[in-house]
Amino acid sequence: METVTASAQFTKLLDNATLSRLEKMRLNPRRRLTNRSRGEHQSGKGGSSTEFVDYRDYSPGDDMRYVDWNIFARLERPFIRLYRHEEEMHVVLLVDASSSMQFEDKFEKARQLAAAFGLMALMGVERVSAYSCNHVGTEPSCMAPCTGRVSRRRLFEFLEGIPAGGDFPIDEAVDAVLRRHRGRGIVVLLSDFLTFGDFQKPLNRLFSAGLEIFAVQILSPTELNPEIAGDLRFVDCENGQTLDISSAGDLLGIYHEHRLALEEELGILCRQRSGRFLSISSRDSLDWFLFDLLKRKGWVQ
Amino acid sequence: MSWPGFVSLGGAWLFLLLVPLVIFYFLKLKRPRMDIPSLALWRSVLNDQRVNAPFQRFKRNLLLLLQALLLICLALAAMQPFWPSGADRAQYLPILIDTSASMGALDTAGGRSRLEAAKEEIRKLIDNLLPDQRLSLIAVSSTARRLTDFSDNKRVLRDALAQIEVSPVASRLEDALRMTQALARTVPVETVVLYTDGNVPADIDFELPFQLNYQKLPPAGQNIGITAINARRSGERWDVFVRIDGSKEAQTTAGVQLLKNGQPIDDEVLSLEPGQSQRIVFHVDGEGPSSLEVRLKPDGFDSLASDNTVYLDLPVGRPLTVYCPPDLTSFRHALRGLKDVTLYPQDDGKGGASSYDLAISDRPSDAALDAAVLVSVGVLPDDLAKLVKVDSEIAEVVDWQRSAPLLQHVLLTDVQIAERPVSAAGVRDRDYEEQGYEILAQGRTGPLVLKKDASGRPSYFFLFHTDRSTLPYRVGFPILVTNAVQLAQAQAGLAEARGQSTGLLAPRTLKSETVYRVTAPDGEAVVSKTNAEGLLSGVSAAQVGRYRIEEGGREVASVGVSLLTGAESSLASVDRLQFKEIAVGASETILKSDRPLWPFFAVLGFVLLLAEWWFFQRRPGGLPA
Repeated sequence: METVTASAQFTKLLDNATLSRLEKMRLNPRRRLTNRSRGEHQSGKGGSSTEFVDYRDYSPGDDMRYVDWNIFARLERPFIRLYRHEEEMHVVLLVDASSSMQFEDKFEKARQLAAAFGLMALMGVERVSAYSCNHVGTEPSCMAPCTGRVSRRRLFEFLEGIPAGGDFPIDEAVDAVLRRHRGRGIVVLLSDFLTFGDFQKPLNRLFSAGLEIFAVQILSPTELNPEIAGDLRFVDCENGQTLDISSAGDLLGIYHEHRLALEEELGILCRQRSGRFLSISSRDSLDWFLFDLLKRKGWVQ
Repeated sequence: MSWPGFVSLGGAWLFLLLVPLVIFYFLKLKRPRMDIPSLALWRSVLNDQRVNAPFQRFKRNLLLLLQALLLICLALAAMQPFWPSGADRAQYLPILIDTSASMGALDTAGGRSRLEAAKEEIRKLIDNLLPDQRLSLIAVSSTARRLTDFSDNKRVLRDALAQIEVSPVASRLEDALRMTQALARTVPVETVVLYTDGNVPADIDFELPFQLNYQKLPPAGQNIGITAINARRSGERWDVFVRIDGSKEAQTTAGVQLLKNGQPIDDEVLSLEPGQSQRIVFHVDGEGPSSLEVRLKPDGFDSLASDNTVYLDLPVGRPLTVYCPPDLTSFRHALRGLKDVTLYPQDDGKGGASSYDLAISDRPSDAALDAAVLVSVGVLPDDLAKLVKVDSEIAEVVDWQRSAPLLQHVLLTDVQIAERPVSAAGVRDRDYEEQGYEILAQGRTGPLVLKKDASGRPSYFFLFHTDRSTLPYRVGFPILVTNAVQLAQAQAGLAEARGQSTGLLAPRTLKSETVYRVTAPDGEAVVSKTNAEGLLSGVSAAQVGRYRIEEGGREVASVGVSLLTGAESSLASVDRLQFKEIAVGASETILKSDRPLWPFFAVLGFVLLLAEWWFFQRRPGGLPA
């Protein structure tokens, strides 16, 4: 088997083979939230691109240049040719870099997925910006919007350089990002979503900002299937708060019910806002997630 | 309602361990810290109402509860609780186990014997033995044998119980009760338990110093067996009489086969009504010595096998050798009229033998003759010289033992006697008895006829001379001589033979001061030595079969031993045992012992331990597959 040295890799986050496969993939948003700046992303509105979409009846005042004269000759009725309008879409990558993401490769998985989504967006000639949030009270780290293939290096370097640790809840991080961000498109949320806050408001604000939500919950195997028993004192790694648990083994069933309920609630909140939600394990295969699950779920094409 | 008792109340101190248990439990609650990504989910879990449900609260301290229950179980087990049976609790309990022949009777074909049933009950007693209780097992047959000392060692008791076997002998309780009485002098014995099938003598010559719990076992099935065998010489042949008894359960048919020296010579078929007996007569040629064996073959189920075979040894027939001096013409005259009697000295004054079957003499010197039966006439034994004198006055018979073999059918009334034995002053009957004499006929002034047994040889002493009395002219005189001859024939075994029953071998005259080896039917051998008179006695014969007597590896005699006990073969049982002062009835309920409960608490503790392990190791419910 050929060993690829680190120096030959384009980025530490993804190997070259994955990168080459990702370059052929595009994000597939449900809503066509685009910006007026011209781009390669087809907007939902009628436009002036060369790609034909449909016919409609002529209305007085319509531009006569769009009348299909061949049809008029056959049917003796004027029809207007409609063309797709191609506009630029903004893709926002928000990586939860708080301490809770440091457990069992969750943060690593989040950075890899951010790189993958970002690469797909750059290759689709979209504007890509990335944010990471660490500590409450500080501004999120930000990568300014960029576009085009040439911005790949910049994106990967930003993601590779995100520091881990902090206590920034993801819900507050959304507010912090929206204070700086301008533009419609897609927001990719990469977090474990284990926070005491309410997700309804931040998701509403994302929706209002014209961002379609691509939320990915990354949980560690320990969180998915904790193997604990007896009397324990849990310590929150972000804020140091403690919680005493008796007969922890007996509570696992209820824990799983709450975990699944949180998953269900996040999914509903996202779908109600025309968004998408997926929950994966940090140990899940990256290839399976990118090239199988995302395709099957219609996130990418 | 009875409450559990405790053997060792000191074990209650273990309950104090609950205090450190609780203390250590709460000290242990210094929980191990565990870093987790977020408390968000766990906090919502704890806010769930189900977590705070009463049962869940209880489950929080389930470990403490289980450990406390485990400790309580161990403490209770250490206190050795028991469930009282209701009966008086005895610390020392002798158990008498009947091992006589009838205990080998089966209840059904292929079923269990009475002894096995008794063992089963006793095994329960041993299993439920409390730590402060001691049992002593005593096997009872014709004698008593203590199997164990008072012991609480269940293994020893079980081993001893397993080794108990049926002895084909008649049961006799007195020895065992006396042995128990002796044990009661060393330890406090309040109750004695007797396990028997009830086939024991109802009247027992014993004063009970303790309470007897008479546990009567369920009855056995029907039985038929040979209860007696004897033979009487009739001319040149033997008439062999075999008595067969059947139990009361049902009508029985059986075949009876007679074997002589191992060869079958005759057989019979009989049918017995319930509870009846039948006598069968066989005729056997009496030319040579014969070893007879009679086998009973019941057609149906027979609960007892040991009474189906009996043995009888017949001696060689020969004339009786009698010594009578020529002076005793009256006796010689009477003897001449009897068959199979060779009289010495002969009429011509010649002839004699080294030993005689019967010696009748009026000479003091003839007391030294080697005779199996001696009849001394008009001779005062030397050891009676101080007790009685004989004068020449007229004596009169006051009374005599009419059942004595010598005087049977002899009428001594109005016999005139010209010699009078006179007891010395102050001499009573007891003085004669102390000298070993038995008074057969009593005069007004002293004994007239005496009997003395020396080494199994009877001697009869007429203290008056018959020629100085009217006795030779009486009808009873030839009867008297005939009785003496029959006694000699019986002593020599010439007239009749009886089957040897189990128990002790009948004393047998062999070489004096000689060591003999007696081998039992099962091959076990004992060595015994004859006394100065050549009498071999005191040899146990507790098995049915042939006992071989050997001298230096050479067989000198063979004795067939049979059960021959009507009481054992009948399997009849008594409901009450009559002692000297009181009667003891059979208990209607099975003897129940105090039931120890500590194994229950030990098992419960173990189950709690397993439950605790399972509870904390199990996969919690609600987990995704």
